Amino acid sequence: MEHSTFEPRIIGFLCNWCTYAGADLAGTSRIQYPPNIRIIRMMCSGSLDPTYVLKVLLEGADGVLIGGCHPGECHYISGNLKARRRVAILKSVLEDAGLEPERVWLRWISASEGAYFAETVREMVDHIRALGPNPLKLEWAV
Amino acid sequence: MRGSCSVAELKDLDTSEAIRRFLGMLLESGAVNAVLVPKHSPDNNMVAQALVADRERLAGADPLAPVQMINAAHAVRELAKEPLERSGGRIAAVLRPCEVRAVIELVKLKQILPDSLYLIGYDCPGVYDVKRYRDRVQATGDAKEVRAEVLERFAGAERAADAEAELRGACGLCTRFTADSADLNLSWIGAGDHSLLLQVLSEKGEQLLQALKGADFKEVGEAPERVERIEAVRASRLVVQDEQQMDLLSQLQPCIRCYNCREVCPICYCKECLLIPAKMGYSSERYLRRAEKKGQIKMPVDTVLYHLTKMNHMACSCVACGLCEQACPMDIPLGRIYSRVGGHVQALFDYVPGRSLEEELPVTTFKEEELPQVEDIKR
Repeated sequence: MEHSTFEPRIIGFLCNWCTYAGADLAGTSRIQYPPNIRIIRMMCSGSLDPTYVLKVLLEGADGVLIGGCHPGECHYISGNLKARRRVAILKSVLEDAGLEPERVWLRWISASEGAYFAETVREMVDHIRALGPNPLKLEWAV
Repeated sequence: MRGSCSVAELKDLDTSEAIRRFLGMLLESGAVNAVLVPKHSPDNNMVAQALVADRERLAGADPLAPVQMINAAHAVRELAKEPLERSGGRIAAVLRPCEVRAVIELVKLKQILPDSLYLIGYDCPGVYDVKRYRDRVQATGDAKEVRAEVLERFAGAERAADAEAELRGACGLCTRFTADSADLNLSWIGAGDHSLLLQVLSEKGEQLLQALKGADFKEVGEAPERVERIEAVRASRLVVQDEQQMDLLSQLQPCIRCYNCREVCPICYCKECLLIPAKMGYSSERYLRRAEKKGQIKMPVDTVLYHLTKMNHMACSCVACGLCEQACPMDIPLGRIYSRVGGHVQALFDYVPGRSLEEELPVTTFKEEELPQVEDIKR
C-alpha cells in the first residue's frame, strides 16, 4: 500500500454519556475532523470487553480509540477507572504478543469537549498515519 | 504458635511416609472428616486426587510424586462450592503451592467457600509432564524411585540445569514452590534431621494443630539451610526466565482451538464463557466475506483472538501451574507463555495471585490516580 494514500481506519468505542456526546457536539458545532473514525456507542467505557478491541485489531483496524468520562465523572461512578485497568492489561498483553500497543488510545473526553474530541481524532489520525497500516491487515493466520 | 515445629511422631521417616502419618493423625483425631490428597493409582502408573475419609485408605497417598493430573483447585471447587449440610464438617486439602494460590484466587472470585477447608501446602519439587512420568515409572519399574530422583535435586546445593529442564515447562521456571499462603506448609527442603517440619502460617493452621491433642510438637527455628537452598533454586530459575524467548504469534500458530487449556485452567471458572464456539462461530457467508476481505483466512479462525482474550480475562490471576501446557495436544508452551504474560500484567498492579486473601483482585478495584502510561499514547 502506498504510504501517501494510506488512510487509517480507526474504531472508536465511546461512552454514551461523555465522549459520544462530545463527538455529537463536535458535529452539531460543525467542527471538522477527519472521517477516518467509525464510532461504536457503549453505555460505559467500563463495559468494553478487551476481546472487541482485539477483534478489530486482528481484523486489521489501524487504531482503536476508547473514550470515557473524566475520572470522577463516570455516570456509573467508577466504570472509567476500571476501564483504565483493563486497558493497562490489554496494552501489556499486546506488547507481549509483539503487537503495537500504541494503536490503542484511551482518552477522557466530556460531553462539552466537542473541540477536544475533534482534536483527538486529528491527533490520532496523524499518529497512526505516521505509524503506517496495521500489519495484521494482511496477516491471514491470526 | 506461628512458625515451624517438629512432631516427635514423625521423626526418622521417609518424607512421604511422614506426610501420610501426619494426615492419618488428622483423620484419627477427628480434626478433619476427610483429606484431599494425591494418591498413586492401583497400578502405580499415575497419581490422582483422592478424597480420603478412612485412615486405613491413606496407603499410597503421595503428594510429592512428581506428576499432576489436574490443578487440585478444581477438586476443591467441587468440595467447597456450598456450605456443608453437617455443621463443623472439615476437609483438609493437601495442595501444591500453585494449587493453594489457585484456591485463594477462586475464594476471591467467589467460587470457593473457605470455611470448611484447611489448606495444607507443601514444598513442591516440581512435576514431570504426565507422559514423561509414565515413561519414567515404566523405565525404573518403581514410582518411589521416580519421586526420589526429583527430591534428590533439592538435597544438595548443586542443581543440574538439565535435570531442571526435564520438569514440566512451568515447573522449571517456578520461583514460588513453597506454600507461603496456606494454613500450614509441610516443609522438607533443608529440614535437616527432621523428615518433615510443620510451618504454621495462619490462625486456622494453629487451630488444626490444637485439634491434634496428645501429639508431641516442638517449636524449632527456621533452618538456615532451608532459606539458602530455596534462594539458590529461585536464583537459577530467574536466570532461565530471563533467557526465555517469546514470539507469541508464531508460537500460537499450531493452536486448533480445542479449549483444553481453558478446561484445565483453575482460574477459568465462568459457566458461560465468551469464547464458546457458538459465540466465535460465524455463518458460512461470513467466513467467505472474511476471506474475501483479507484475501485468505486460517481455519479454524480466531485462534489468536481466543488466546489473547483468555489472557486479558485471567492473566491477573494466573498462578503459573502450567496445566494448560500439559493439556495442549499441539505442544504449544502455553504454561511458559501464560505465566510470562501473567507476570507482566500482575506487575502493573504489584499483585501476586494467591499471595493473600486480603489483596483485592486488580480488576475489581482501582486507584483514583494510577497508570499514567495508559493515557500516554507512546506506550
